Amino acid sequence: MTELLERPASGTIERAPGTRRRSGLGILGEIAERRRTDLEAELARYDPAEVRRLLAVAPPARDLLAPLLRPGLHLIGELKRRSPSAGRLTAEGVDLVDRARAYERGGAAIISVLVEPHWFAGSFEDLRAVRRGVAVPLLAKEFVVDGRQLPLLRAAGADGVLLLAALHDAAGLRTLVRAARRIGLEPLVEVHRERELPRALASGARLIGLNNRDLRTLAVDPGLAARLRSRIPDDRLVVGESGVDDPAALAEWRALGLDAALVGEALMTAGDGAAAVEARVAAFVAAGREPAPSEDPAAADRLPFVKICGITDEAGIFAAIRADADAIGLNLVPGTPRALSEREAARLAGLARSASTPSPRRAAPRPGLARTVPGLRSLLVGVVADRQPAEAAALAQRLGLDALQLSGDEPPGSLEAVGIPCFKVLHLPSEAGRLDRPGLAELLVERARTYLAEPNCLGILLDTAEAGRRGGTGQRVDPALAAAVAREVPVILAGGLDAASVGPALRGIPAVGVDVASGVERSIPPRARRPAARRPRKDPVRVGLFAKRAKAARLDRPQLAVRPTPVDPGLLEADVRGRWGTERSFGGRYVPETLMAALVELQTAYDIVRHDPRFWARLRELGRDYVGRPSALYRADRLASALERRAGRQPGDLRLFLKREDLDHTGAHKITNALGQALLARRLGKRRIIAETGAGQHGVATATACALLDLPCVVYMGTEDVRRQAPNVLRMRALGAEVREVATGSATLKDAINEAMRDWVTNVATTHYVLGSAVGPHPYPTIVRDLQRVIGDEAAAQLAAVEGRLPDVAVACLGGGSNAIGLFSRFIGEQGVRLVGVEAAGEGIATGRHAAALAGGSPGVLHGSRSYLLQDADGQVVEAHSISAGLDYPGIGPQLSALYEAGRLEVLAASDGEALEALRLTARREGILAALEPAHAIAALPRLIAGDGIAPLPDRALVLLGLSGRGDKDLGVLGDGEERVADEAMT
Amino acid sequence: MSLTELSPVSDVSRAPTRDQVLGTNGTQGARRIGEAFARAREVGRICLIPYVVAGYPDAATSRAAALAAIDGGADILELGLPYSDPLADGTTLQRASSTALQAGATLAGSIDLLRLVHEARPGIPLVPMAYVNQVLGHGDGHDVLARLAAAGASGLILADLTPDEGEPLEALAREVGLALVYLVTPTTPPDRRARIAARSGGFLYAVSLVGVTGARTSLAPEVVRFVREVRAASPVPVAVGFGISRPAHVRRLRRAADGAIVASALVDALGRDGRDVGRMGRLVADLAAAGGAG
Repeated sequence: MTELLERPASGTIERAPGTRRRSGLGILGEIAERRRTDLEAELARYDPAEVRRLLAVAPPARDLLAPLLRPGLHLIGELKRRSPSAGRLTAEGVDLVDRARAYERGGAAIISVLVEPHWFAGSFEDLRAVRRGVAVPLLAKEFVVDGRQLPLLRAAGADGVLLLAALHDAAGLRTLVRAARRIGLEPLVEVHRERELPRALASGARLIGLNNRDLRTLAVDPGLAARLRSRIPDDRLVVGESGVDDPAALAEWRALGLDAALVGEALMTAGDGAAAVEARVAAFVAAGREPAPSEDPAAADRLPFVKICGITDEAGIFAAIRADADAIGLNLVPGTPRALSEREAARLAGLARSASTPSPRRAAPRPGLARTVPGLRSLLVGVVADRQPAEAAALAQRLGLDALQLSGDEPPGSLEAVGIPCFKVLHLPSEAGRLDRPGLAELLVERARTYLAEPNCLGILLDTAEAGRRGGTGQRVDPALAAAVAREVPVILAGGLDAASVGPALRGIPAVGVDVASGVERSIPPRARRPAARRPRKDPVRVGLFAKRAKAARLDRPQLAVRPTPVDPGLLEADVRGRWGTERSFGGRYVPETLMAALVELQTAYDIVRHDPRFWARLRELGRDYVGRPSALYRADRLASALERRAGRQPGDLRLFLKREDLDHTGAHKITNALGQALLARRLGKRRIIAETGAGQHGVATATACALLDLPCVVYMGTEDVRRQAPNVLRMRALGAEVREVATGSATLKDAINEAMRDWVTNVATTHYVLGSAVGPHPYPTIVRDLQRVIGDEAAAQLAAVEGRLPDVAVACLGGGSNAIGLFSRFIGEQGVRLVGVEAAGEGIATGRHAAALAGGSPGVLHGSRSYLLQDADGQVVEAHSISAGLDYPGIGPQLSALYEAGRLEVLAASDGEALEALRLTARREGILAALEPAHAIAALPRLIAGDGIAPLPDRALVLLGLSGRGDKDLGVLGDGEERVADEAMT
Repeated sequence: MSLTELSPVSDVSRAPTRDQVLGTNGTQGARRIGEAFARAREVGRICLIPYVVAGYPDAATSRAAALAAIDGGADILELGLPYSDPLADGTTLQRASSTALQAGATLAGSIDLLRLVHEARPGIPLVPMAYVNQVLGHGDGHDVLARLAAAGASGLILADLTPDEGEPLEALAREVGLALVYLVTPTTPPDRRARIAARSGGFLYAVSLVGVTGARTSLAPEVVRFVREVRAASPVPVAVGFGISRPAHVRRLRRAADGAIVASALVDALGRDGRDVGRMGRLVADLAAAGGAG
């Protein structure tokens, strides 16, 4: 500090070596020049001793970064009376301190105060007054042209300071950043143009501002912050500035990984009343908040387990707890850099136990494993290597640890011998020392399984082993190898991760968690000699940022599977040719050449969208606000009892959970796909939407999405279905869609798809075809599956919350299969979960009049992909028959075909009559009017319970059933309701 | 995995060494087709390829129609195999297909027809047109291709097959000596057109418009340029189809294309009941005259 005050850090007014004085800075140049003139007199009297005295009595600096390290995007509320772009923003004599208090009450994380007098009507006095009035940290919005301004700002109560990259060259900026930090001022380096970014990053600033408004010209480029965000490594905190007057825009910034939004004008003009200002601030704050688990239960399932390991001091413990770490690791391996004595460990463990608080966001190290730590506080883990089991257990006991991590060569059986919950570390070659040993992944998987089989194994850590050193080496695990292992068994990834690399690692490797030690530590001072000074210590900012980036990485791409999936990859994803299955024999792209260009275009666009967090954030928002997601998970005990009786079983054993997609807006799961594809169509620049529909639910959903997104919509529907589903035809027309009847063929769904494809062939340049099921040419089956997988993702998390485990069986009806693949996707890789699909048996499979493509069909090509279908010996497609228009389809999607052929999907069938009866039973037993489609799934449950033609259910079975839609549309088919439910007499 | 790598465009682009084992232009069937184009070219005619739906409106009438088309001046005959879900076809051919199926048309019946026509007019190459599932519906397609070839077919057009999915069928077609004809359309990017042409056997089918089959009153002005571009990049003759219905259309294509395919207009000429074979034969003759030298 002394050094700074006696020797000005940056340029002086006279020489200004680090300051850009060139023209081309426009208004910014004028402001900066005026600032220099203003300060001339003041700095002429600059007395280092006086400044030192001022700093000594300055209010203590508050941590500007801490609030931004919490999940989500935070609001920096700016106070300014006027601005060069907007002119005067407030009435004369407005009380800025009142405003500041309203900002604080509304939830602003930081308040920014303008200090510049001429263009912004600010002052140092404003800064001092606001500092006295609020408790949140303050950012001084000053035009810093001289290093000596910094202590003056700190003395006035600033906790952070703005530095404009445009005003300084790289060296000057770096000097200012260091000078500011030295006196406890956190610098925010602001960038207006892309070419300023490298010097902003090189300055060492931890806070980077991306201002959509270029202060040279005052012009706003609303996309600048979003564009430049991806060019900033994740180990910086990023603030978006300007051009935001609608809270909705903040949700997009949050999705892109911005940590804060600086909003001024929109808050200053919110009105005069403090209540109005507070409400406006609160609206912005809410928009930046990450979705709560109640809003997106699937997110809870996706959150990675975060372990901060090798903590050596109190600050490290507090940092890990503030970061909401799921586990805290204390190293007890003598001779390693982070090793603690037993006394140190006991002290830190005690501190951690008393300071850690329960968190609803806490991730479990191993899915389905009962929690071992009461109250959901951070798990305390002691790291040991090759100790005697009894000795290790005694140590854990003495220190009050929740678990041990065995990091040595402990053989299988050791965990059980230790007797308390344990993690086991497996050491991999690093990326650098990669061994292309064939079978290495299989070997590791096998070893991991051996340890996981021990009852008290909490999980497996994959770490690097380098030349005798194990763990904490900072070496990265070979990602391909790690991914191969993580696909098979639940693993926690360790080795060489840091805030910048943890996001990409978690997106690429389906690990259930991450572990970090060296990647979140302070750099060791080069002159440090004493062993204590050389011992690695955690950097609280890095710890916080690591945890934040790790958790965000999984929330922004909900289409990715993030759990182990130990099945053939062909059952999970299509290959480059759109082929599914263990032999890659399903799917593909059998279409007229005219459509190939459109399919390539769709695929290219979807490839980008699939990895664009903004798309998924927008969809999640629509899901929450418009569709009503998450849909309820309801335990239907009365229905379960009736079904058990029907199966000849004692009632009260089966726990049947209905995933209530019938409660979605428009009454079925179809809306999720329709909204997603309509958003996609807008990206593609298509101006017209076509769709086919069977039961009318997809038609209604598409018509709805098109009304919402202002796109003209044509729906093709078979004449037979128009008759059966008249209410939905009226709904589509009311929504502004044109319904075109298709009288060819069987005049049902299949023919509607043919006609939609003909329309698409003809209007391919302007039109997007919103295919309603997970069928069709590549990439449709992938798109529809990605959009519908939210059903199963939500259900898994909801079930985990009420039952603490995954279902024994997931059951869904099978038409084209979009609701089924949506429900099943989450569970395909879960070996403990059986997947049962129920096809429409129509008048009975033996009669030939049915829609059971799997049970009664064979592989062939329908609607652009190879899959199971009903066909005759000549390859003619045979008409399907079902009372349910949504199942009245002779084919089924390629991924379900692949699952069936691989034996992963079991199939039952229910007849028209059985479905009708199930519909009535569900209505009377539960007050839920299910659609005929899911009524098929319900109708098949007695056979599943009794084990009739299928493996029976275990005792106390947990069954998850996809109730894909509501039955209003089927009332006509139900008739006058005189038939009694056969079951009634028995109840 | 990058989806951009997966584009069918790149999928078709194989190293030249692989191109030599791909495609079906070296087959016996392709040679017969090539000779038909050459004969027409020698006398300054465009190669006329009429289309008859097998079994429409019944087996006997369709046989008469096929012979009438040949006698009216066909150089090659395309024989449509009726299909339950003809998604590349417009209303005329959909209706004909469905009528034929209702009248009992089967694959075996179509193959019989093929054999009868081949025996009656052995000099005219026969090219069935079908949909993929008629070949792949029950197995790898070997059986169907062998039966078609044995009955006298020279080639095969599958409306919903592109080279992206065609490799296994090409191998089988080579085994039995059939030319597998691919299609290019106005939406096919130029580089992809060339790659498809390189894989097409016998000739290349240029779809004149963006849409389904069906007679059109006029030929879009850009068709001629499109066809010239396609032809410039094709090692095999180029025949134009979709919407070609009038002698004037054929006349306009004479200098641009090697062949003209006429389908829906001929089905229309058969009348509502599909039995006016005489009228259809006269239209073929008119089209042939329009395609002649002069």
